[in-house]
Amino acid sequence: MQLERIGVALRPRTTLEAMDLGAVMLRAHARQVWSAWFAFTLPIFIVCQLIAWLTGMPWLGLFLPWWLRPLFDRIPLYVLSHAVFERTPAWRETLKGQMRWPWVRTIAALTWLRLDTHRSVRMPMELLEGVSKQQRSARWRVLSRTLGGQASGLTWTSLLFELVVFISICTFTLWLLPGEALPDSMRNLTQAFQLPAFKHALIWIASFVTYVSMSMIEPLYVASGFALYLNRRTQLEAWDIDLMFRRLRQRLLDAGLAAVLLICLGGFGTAVHAAEATPAGASSSAQAGIAEAFHQPLDDKDASFSREANVVYLDPRFGTKHVVTHWVPRLTPKKIDEPLPSSSFVFADLVAGLVNVLMWALLGVAIVALIIFIVRRVRFSGVVLERPERTLSALKTSTVQESALPDDLAATARELWRDGHRREALSLLYRGSMQRAAAALHIQVPVDATESDWLRHAKALDDPSRRDQLVSIVRTWQLAAYADRYPGDTEFASLLSGWPVQRVPL
Amino acid sequence: MLDTVREIETPEGVSLRLRAAGAFGRAQAWLIDLLLRAAFFFIGAAFFGVFGKGGAGLGMLLLFAITWVYSVVCEVWFGGQTIGKRSMKLRVVCADGTPVTLIPSVVRNLLRVVDALPGLYGVGLVCTMIDPSARRIGDIVAGTIVVHADALPAGSKVPMVPSQLLPVPLDPDEQAALIDFAERAGHLTVQRQEELADILVPLTGREGTAAVTQLTAYANGLLGRP
Repeated sequence: MQLERIGVALRPRTTLEAMDLGAVMLRAHARQVWSAWFAFTLPIFIVCQLIAWLTGMPWLGLFLPWWLRPLFDRIPLYVLSHAVFERTPAWRETLKGQMRWPWVRTIAALTWLRLDTHRSVRMPMELLEGVSKQQRSARWRVLSRTLGGQASGLTWTSLLFELVVFISICTFTLWLLPGEALPDSMRNLTQAFQLPAFKHALIWIASFVTYVSMSMIEPLYVASGFALYLNRRTQLEAWDIDLMFRRLRQRLLDAGLAAVLLICLGGFGTAVHAAEATPAGASSSAQAGIAEAFHQPLDDKDASFSREANVVYLDPRFGTKHVVTHWVPRLTPKKIDEPLPSSSFVFADLVAGLVNVLMWALLGVAIVALIIFIVRRVRFSGVVLERPERTLSALKTSTVQESALPDDLAATARELWRDGHRREALSLLYRGSMQRAAAALHIQVPVDATESDWLRHAKALDDPSRRDQLVSIVRTWQLAAYADRYPGDTEFASLLSGWPVQRVPL
Repeated sequence: MLDTVREIETPEGVSLRLRAAGAFGRAQAWLIDLLLRAAFFFIGAAFFGVFGKGGAGLGMLLLFAITWVYSVVCEVWFGGQTIGKRSMKLRVVCADGTPVTLIPSVVRNLLRVVDALPGLYGVGLVCTMIDPSARRIGDIVAGTIVVHADALPAGSKVPMVPSQLLPVPLDPDEQAALIDFAERAGHLTVQRQEELADILVPLTGREGTAAVTQLTAYANGLLGRP
């Protein structure tokens, strides 16, 4: 079995979902299933009718096709099982393929297992897995642990569905047949039932309709049972994980054979600790990457955060205990039995009369409401109502102003800083610096460039002092914008000095 | 890939997966509802029978209510679930995954008349077999769909082992497969666990039990455990 070629989305499913998957599979391969179904079953059905006719026992025509269902079930199962793992076989291939499938189990299903309600699930196991006799019962125990009840439920529901289709076909036919077309014997049913020919005709019709309804529902039954079986195997063997792991393995092998080999050598080499070292080294390098990205040691305890957290935990809403007192009745009140009025019919008449009045009142209200509704509808039908204007109020106004940058960046920023608009000052500083950095680098930077984009651009600067200055401006702005932490006055002043805020000739 | 899932992408790029429910579950839910309503009606009718002619009228009203109002009330105000649907863990939602509202609910329940033809939901059954999302005519007209509302069968919690970070970055679905493996490993046989873990030798560099432990450690790392 090659899981890579499976044509069904594998995932854990509930029982009902698995049955629905059967219906989906059947719908996808409907043409092949039913063409093979009719090619196989229709001749057998006709032969059954001939036997019934020749032996003079019409009930055989009803009984034999029912009894042979396990034989018919092989057809949808063959098509669907091949469709799931390979390609859908045409009806000729399906009929030829029946020769290759084991027959012993079908004979068992036709004889002592004929009344087994687990057939839909047992059949895929027996026909597809082809295990030996000893293994089979053990295998069935594993599979049927959860599947047994579900399979029986499926059988009974399918039986109901078949009944529904059978009755529907009969009813529709009777409805749509004009009365004149019916034979005279049908007019008087009690008389008609005394005619043996009429009874025989009824059985012929019933066996034909049964065949039609069986042809509709039996493939669905087989498909749903097969889907239940697939679902159970997926649960037991984690097929979906298997498939995903195989894809991942392929991707890893394709991506970097050298690196993979290195790890493999580490794993299979004589030194076992080499394998231990590889992931550890990888994790430390990953941590270094994080530290590099955020310019802060990972284990740095944020003093101000823990101080704030302690304050929060002092709040009585968190973690403290409350004592709630309330009154409870000491004695439970006894129920008082109300004696029923002996003359309950007088009361009943009264209620009936009241309800009568109420009904008439309700009818009146309904009619008046209807009239009002119609009048309003007619009056307003031509008028288009204006939509009420609703503007969404922003949660917080943006501090980034889309104005042009001032000529003297440093002075303006310093002024804002002095006035207490620290956020605006840093924003201006950030925007101005980035624009100048873009000019210095001769690059066109999109308006939606993020801070990390800028950090990447900063690496392109030749001068290390300029690079550091740009990075520290970005970091200061990030801390202010996202963490509400502001630099001190001297620190801010140092950011304003030199490139890029001051125009220094290159 | 065949599946029963109907995928809907919201404008925000979130993909919602509606697991469409087919004929089997819906028929069972309907049967439960039918029995409940029949029992309720007979109790009610026996009670109203005391009141003579007026009571018969009330009985008729009751019949009307449990035939036409019951489903609508349950669907609109009780989360798209009648009692039968609740017990089969099904739910009616709009085709875009939003909760069903009054008008679609009324439409889909009125069109039961068509689906129930010729008395036993023969049309509805055939329609659910044909439609890809197993909708009956009422659902198609009202723009609704019946979905499975229960949580998927999941494994137990990922066992605690000291976590390790992945040596190479993985795609989200691959990460999900790793966590799935760690969650469901308990339900698999030991041989199968090792067989699965051996597939990922390029990632773990190990085989057998060590590989299983390694994958569990990765899963712990992905879950952000220490």
